[in-house]
Amino acid sequence: MAENQKSHGGIIIFTIVFAMLLMLLPLPDSLRFFRPEWVLITLIYWAMAVPRLVGVGFAWVVGLLMDVMMGGAMGVLAFSYTLVIYLVLQFHLQLRQYPLWQQALSILSLVLLVDIVTVLVSPTMAGWHVWLPAVSSTVLWPVMYSLLRTVRRTFNVS
Amino acid sequence: MNYFVPIRSVLSTVVYPIQTMAALPKDISDWVANYFQSQRQLKEKNTELEATNLLNSVRLQRLKALERENIRLRKLLGSSFRLRERVLVAELLTIDLDPSYQQVVIDKGQRYDVFVGQPVLDATGVMGQVTEVNPFSSRVVLLTDPSHAIPVQVNRNGLRSIATGWGLGESLQLENLPHNADVRIGDSLVTSGLGGRFPVGYPVGTVVSVNFPQGKAFAEIGVKPAAQLSTSREVLLVLPAKMVEISKKSPDTDTETETETETETETETETEAEAEAEAEAER
Repeated sequence: MAENQKSHGGIIIFTIVFAMLLMLLPLPDSLRFFRPEWVLITLIYWAMAVPRLVGVGFAWVVGLLMDVMMGGAMGVLAFSYTLVIYLVLQFHLQLRQYPLWQQALSILSLVLLVDIVTVLVSPTMAGWHVWLPAVSSTVLWPVMYSLLRTVRRTFNVS
Repeated sequence: MNYFVPIRSVLSTVVYPIQTMAALPKDISDWVANYFQSQRQLKEKNTELEATNLLNSVRLQRLKALERENIRLRKLLGSSFRLRERVLVAELLTIDLDPSYQQVVIDKGQRYDVFVGQPVLDATGVMGQVTEVNPFSSRVVLLTDPSHAIPVQVNRNGLRSIATGWGLGESLQLENLPHNADVRIGDSLVTSGLGGRFPVGYPVGTVVSVNFPQGKAFAEIGVKPAAQLSTSREVLLVLPAKMVEISKKSPDTDTETETETETETETETETEAEAEAEAEAER
C-alpha cells in the first residue's frame, strides 16, 4: 500500500514538473502573453480529483518553486496558489459535479484570483495583457481535464 | 530581508535542472541547424567574419593608441585612469520568465565568481546587471526592466542623465531633463560611469524620440537600447577594472608598471610606436 501511494505521488509530481517546463518553454513574442497557467491548472485538477494527496502545503511548495523559477518576488505565487487550492479543496465535491463548461468558468475565476494577487504585488503598472493567461487557461481547461483524467485512470491514482 | 537570499539560492539550484531542460528543445534545434549548415554557407560566414575581424583589429590598434594617449594626458593632469576591463563570456538560457519583469538567466554563477551588480554587455551595448547569483546560474535584470536605471551621457556633448526602463516594449526614458536640454533624435548615449557600477563609455542606446510636452516640467525622451536584448545568446560579464594611481608615481616607472598590468605588453608597445609614427607623419 505504501509503495502504491509513492508511485501515485510520483505521477502527480511528474505532471507538475512537465507543466513547469511548459511555463518556461520559449514562445514566439505574439503568443507569449497567452501562455496558460499550466502549473496552476494541473494543481487544480489534482486537488479536485485526489484531494487526499494534494493539499494546501503541496500547493505552497509548488508556488514557492514557481516564484523562484519565474523570477518574481518570493512568496507571491506560493500565497496565491495556496489560496486557490484551499478554495478548490473546500468545493471539490461541487466542482466535480459541474459540467465541463461550468468547471471552466470556475477555473477562470480561480486563475483571475492568482492574477489579481500578482498584480497587487507587482511593482509596475499592469497592462491589459496580465489577464490573458486566465482566458487561455479557461479555453484549455476541457482539454487539460480530459488529458489529466486519462493520466489519472492509466496510473490508477485515487 | 537578507535571510531569504540563501533560501532563494538553494531553491534556484533546485529548479535549475528544470530550467535547463526547458531550454533543451531550442538548444537541440540550434545544434541541428548548425550541424547541417552547408560548406558554402560556412565559407561565406568565415570570409565575412575574417573581414570584420580585420576591420576590428585595425580599429583596435587606433583605440590602443588613443588609450595610451589618454593615459599620458591624464598623467599630466594628475588624475587616475581606469584600465580596460576584462570580461567573462556567458550564455543565456533560452527560457521565458515572468513577462512582467524584464530579466534573463545566464549559465554562469558563483563558481565563476559572478557577483551581484556585475555589468552585463553584449556585442553591441550594455544589456543590464546581475541581480541574483546562484551556484550554477545567475539572474540578469535588463535595461528595460521598470526597476532598472542606468547613468548615461550623451556622446555628442557630454550631457548627463539617467535612463530608466519602461517595461514592455524595448524603450528607455531619460529622466529629469529640462525642456532646454540639448538632446536630438539620433544622439548616441554611452554609460557615464557615475555611480561606479557600469564601466565608462559603453553604448547604451540611441535617442529615437524627443518631446517637450506643454505644462510638464521635464522633457520626454525615448531611447532605443543598443544591445540586442531579445536576440543575443552570448553575453559578456565585465570583471572589475584595475585602478591605477598615476599621480603618486614618477613618470618613468609608471609607464613600466602600466604595461606590466596589461596582458598584451608587446602589442601595446607596438601600437605605441605606431601611434608615434602616425603623429610624426601628421606633422
